[in-house]
Amino acid sequence: MSRNIRKKRRGNDEPRHWPLHLFLILMLIVTCYPILLVVTIAFSGGQSLAITDIPDNATLGERVRAITPWPENWSLSNFRSLFGDQPFARWLLNSVIVASATTVLGVFLACTAAYSFSRFRFPGRRAGLMSFLVSQMFPGTLMLIPLFIIIQFLGLGSTYTGLVLLYCTTAIPFCVWNMKGYFDTIPKELEESALIDGASQATIFFRIVLPLAKPAVAVTALFSFMTGWNEFILAATLMNREEMYTVPVGLRFFVSGFSQQWGYFAAGSIVAAIPIMVLFMVLQKFLVSGLTAGAVKG
Amino acid sequence: MAGPPTAVSHRRRFLIGLALAALLGVGIAAALLTGARQAEANERARRQAVVTLAALTTVLEQAGGGGAQAAEAPEPPAAAEPAGGGMGLGDELAAIEQGGTAAPADAGEAMRRAVARFAETHPEVTAIRVLELGGITLEASTDPRDQGAKQAPRRLAPDEKPFFDLGQKLRAAVAGNREGAEGAARQPEISVVRQPGGTLSLAAPIERGGEVAGMVQMDTRTRPDAVEFAWLPFLAALLGPVIALLLISLALGERRGLLAGAAALVLLAGLYLYGRYALDVLGRERRTSGQAVAARIAAEAKTAQTLLAEIGVPAVQPQPLSPESWDMDELRQPLGLVTSGGQLDEGKLGELVGADAGRMTRSVITLGLIALALLAFVGLGWAARTGGALVQYRIAYAYTIPALLGMLVLVFFPFFYGIALSFTNANIYNTDKSIYETWIGLGNYTSILSDFGIARRTAEGLVWNYQNFYYTLFFTLVWTVSNVVIGVSLGLTLALILNLKDFAFRSFYRVLLILPWAVPTYITALIWQGMFHRQFGVINQILRIFGATPIAWFDGPFTSFLAVLTTNGWLSFPFMMVISLGALQSISADLYEAAKVDGATRWQQFRAITLPSLRPALVPAIILSVIWTFNQFIVIYLVSAGQPAGATEILITQAYKLAFEQYRYGYAAAYSVVIFLILLAYGTWQNRVTGATEAIG
Repeated sequence: MSRNIRKKRRGNDEPRHWPLHLFLILMLIVTCYPILLVVTIAFSGGQSLAITDIPDNATLGERVRAITPWPENWSLSNFRSLFGDQPFARWLLNSVIVASATTVLGVFLACTAAYSFSRFRFPGRRAGLMSFLVSQMFPGTLMLIPLFIIIQFLGLGSTYTGLVLLYCTTAIPFCVWNMKGYFDTIPKELEESALIDGASQATIFFRIVLPLAKPAVAVTALFSFMTGWNEFILAATLMNREEMYTVPVGLRFFVSGFSQQWGYFAAGSIVAAIPIMVLFMVLQKFLVSGLTAGAVKG
Repeated sequence: MAGPPTAVSHRRRFLIGLALAALLGVGIAAALLTGARQAEANERARRQAVVTLAALTTVLEQAGGGGAQAAEAPEPPAAAEPAGGGMGLGDELAAIEQGGTAAPADAGEAMRRAVARFAETHPEVTAIRVLELGGITLEASTDPRDQGAKQAPRRLAPDEKPFFDLGQKLRAAVAGNREGAEGAARQPEISVVRQPGGTLSLAAPIERGGEVAGMVQMDTRTRPDAVEFAWLPFLAALLGPVIALLLISLALGERRGLLAGAAALVLLAGLYLYGRYALDVLGRERRTSGQAVAARIAAEAKTAQTLLAEIGVPAVQPQPLSPESWDMDELRQPLGLVTSGGQLDEGKLGELVGADAGRMTRSVITLGLIALALLAFVGLGWAARTGGALVQYRIAYAYTIPALLGMLVLVFFPFFYGIALSFTNANIYNTDKSIYETWIGLGNYTSILSDFGIARRTAEGLVWNYQNFYYTLFFTLVWTVSNVVIGVSLGLTLALILNLKDFAFRSFYRVLLILPWAVPTYITALIWQGMFHRQFGVINQILRIFGATPIAWFDGPFTSFLAVLTTNGWLSFPFMMVISLGALQSISADLYEAAKVDGATRWQQFRAITLPSLRPALVPAIILSVIWTFNQFIVIYLVSAGQPAGATEILITQAYKLAFEQYRYGYAAAYSVVIFLILLAYGTWQNRVTGATEAIG
């Protein structure tokens, strides 16, 4: 009976799917077009935003050619001069330093706090967790103005230290919530039996819980690295000297002002974004569970 | 946590609390007072040095001014007479050598003599250097380094560029301040730099005929009076209240309410008395300063008179000396504390002391509140309870404290500092001032919230005021709602399609449709901004294929809104799609089978099974995306940048522009606090409706 139904459905439904396929293909064009455009501009060898030059009285064919994301001739010159005569390598280095420092500091501080929030019941626990959550609600600018004044006062403008400190304000709460969600899933019995065997609290944390939580630590670290890597506002506000720009600020620098160098921007975007995009596609399901875990689970 | 059953001594608690509170309050007050006295002593030394500098400038202007101007002016004005008429011995020689018309040389010689004599009469002045801006020459110098080959007058050497630049800067400042654009920040016209080793280096412009022609720089050794910490009043204000409470408590016994009242009372009394004392001390310091400056003015005026007479400037001067204006601020405006008679102006002094009193009152009130809080914390037993908890749960706290400390320093301190800033008119020019000096109370909030001028009625119809808070709030709400609606409907539709059984290429579609989420937002924003470019953008090229005219997307509020909406829609739908897909896949197929057996239609299945199963995943996702979109800074900032004229600005980009393009930190902080309150209200409401933060439990 059920087999009969399924057969019947397959027979009837397949052709009915074609409008849906049409819709999805349209959506695919829309989602992929900007990405293909970046690739086209990057490999075009020029700095123009337009794919081809079109005269005012262009034919339909020429006009269609002008929106087809395929370079007229392929060239690597944008990539070569990006690392040759543009300070892009320096910006990459800045981004790596800042994002790594943020990750190390944020994850280290977060692991212990998340463990405590997950395992112990103590006065102030609820307030502490709430404060991490509420701090995420502070509008960036409200934090940015005092932090900017304080950082200028401390003479940390345009320094790695200043930017890392700023990034930690966003990294720590995120890491704490993410790690707490994972620690909650590790059975408590493991630690209880270790305690009976005479292990100290520190031994339990470093020898038992942390090794078990390795995947979560890795994912949390990667996400906070990616946050630092992609961050634009704070870096743009704090880093005023060109040699201290991070990648996002530098890429924006290429396409703002009068001489817009879209070729460098596109090539730099590919260099900066491809590794991150690959990582993201791999890790994306962890992010979703991390974001919703706190909310869905009872 | 239940308190220990043993009886606690309220007396002891209140006594300890009072001692700590008094130590905190009076300690900070004493530190502030010492700081203020030291500042006043430094200011006194600075004012005295400035008086000397002003005297020197006046002497130089009178000695050299007339002659140099005569050389440049077409007809020799009367001012040329003094320099030529009253030649000293040295001048005569120079005049003979260079012929009768060499007035500039005369002037230069007169200046050099004046400088030399001035340095002789002022042993504390280590070096005087006079710069002539027109010829880029060092006109006169008593600097030991300008000896031999480097003796003045000579052209400046290339390595003396900072010296010349300082002169240029002062000239530009004088010219700029004269033009006096309303509201423009005024530049200091004299420069006072404290060198290491207690030397002050001062510089002032030399004017001739109303123009800045040169600069005089003077290095002088000063020793501000050392200020010692006054122990006696400090100890009195500290111990007085404690002893008083001890005595009172003998009478009161263990009655908690009365003890609390008495402790608060004696604490405030102690602080008040210390405040009165501090005000008195500061007043005396102010008076001492005034008298010292007046004395210096009188002395300098006398020296200047003799000097001018000595080097040959006659008693009939182009202008009188007016020494009472020598006591001036950096803008060369007389402070007016010393009258022309050389006496202290009591009225002005009173005003200063009054301002001190106002500041003092605010400080004492703040300190009083802090001290009272500490007193309550200790006295009412909260401290004991906190301490007990700290000991009992020490392991838990040990794990939490690094992160909490980090958050305290990096998040909560700046947060409260930001709130404090919102009550000030802080801007880029006064960040060095304390919060008390820039305090304007609720001024920022009233000017943001009470301005309802959203639109004006004009001949061409309604004109929106895009800078108005309520307009921006309205736009932000429209922006948030439309984005979330687009994101949810598009994401849910795609998820429902991709969840169809037997749908071909499902995983292929899925991977490619997630791509926009993976692209860093700033790259998305910048490339879409390029795609909406009027001339080269792809969107307009597509429009032209269909025969439409290109659109200047960012010139109209609505098209600009469409541009940012498209960009944000593109980057936000994959999140909703992934969330919905995950929830859809977790619905058991048995439910649908059962429904089908019961004869439910597709729509009924969707209503009764699909939607309720989606709810637990979709609701938090929607909450998140509302907050994200509300705060979607990058898309607005990089794509439309608020164009046209701020019409597509959302609250958060507006606050950013107020802070970092207009540098109105205080106003922007108030703006941000309002945004925070809106978000907080939303979060609280949302939390109550959905119980989304139950996980904390």
